[in-house]
Amino acid sequence: MKFSRETYCLISNSKVELNGKEIEIVSENNSWLNSIYYSLGIDYPKFFKMDNLSKAGFLASELIFREINFDRTIFHKDITIIGFNSSSSLDDDLIYQKTISDSDNFFPSPAVFVYTLANIVLGEIAIRNKIQGETSFYVIEKYDENLIQTYLNDVFTNNYVKGILCGWIDFLNGNCNVKLKYIEKTDEWRAK
Amino acid sequence: MDELILELKKEIIEALNLEGMTPESIDENASLFGDGLGLDSIDALELIVLLERNYGIKLENANEGKEIFKSIRIMADYIKQHRTK
Repeated sequence: MKFSRETYCLISNSKVELNGKEIEIVSENNSWLNSIYYSLGIDYPKFFKMDNLSKAGFLASELIFREINFDRTIFHKDITIIGFNSSSSLDDDLIYQKTISDSDNFFPSPAVFVYTLANIVLGEIAIRNKIQGETSFYVIEKYDENLIQTYLNDVFTNNYVKGILCGWIDFLNGNCNVKLKYIEKTDEWRAK
Repeated sequence: MDELILELKKEIIEALNLEGMTPESIDENASLFGDGLGLDSIDALELIVLLERNYGIKLENANEGKEIFKSIRIMADYIKQHRTK
């Protein structure tokens, strides 16, 4: 008897996988993340305003939620999103720093500044999918499957939680590393 | 004036990451916010920075933006009258 159902997505610098199956990405002079966006046929112009970290997490969530036919026409208060990484928002922080490092050319960019927090990626996913459950983002030293699983198990025991989007979302200096999964309780779980 | 409008369209596309849009696809008389280009509040702040960085125009009062950013043509008019570079 299975108490939970799991869907997962991995995105590296050269590969996208959904439930262990590689997704074909066509690149036509676009950045890697933009190539994934176009290959998946997503229509969400706000994507192009996101920083790389948010783009990476957003794309993984799109693949997962598309796979399970997630209903984004209704609000979900019973779904939680938990993210982890080690680079925080440093990729965007460095871009922002460039806009304020020259006193003769001091033009801080508001659009870059809004992404100088790692948890913004979770907000982008929540907005897109009308998820209103709790979100939390943890910056830890390195990828730790046991820690993530322990945290996930703890949250999963909460009765109000129906599903959790959880995992590692990291992007720094062109290096993309996303291991995201969605775990939802089955009817068997609710019956036990 | 047409040259300034074209220049402004290119700058806005780049500054606001309006992927897939071209100067030709933007109506200079259409509203920048709401139903027009659909820009948001962060975009408005980015336009204020663009005015200062590219044209030396510093808006003392952010509310001025409400009038200036009504359309690209109105924005270009304002730039023409107030630019310092």
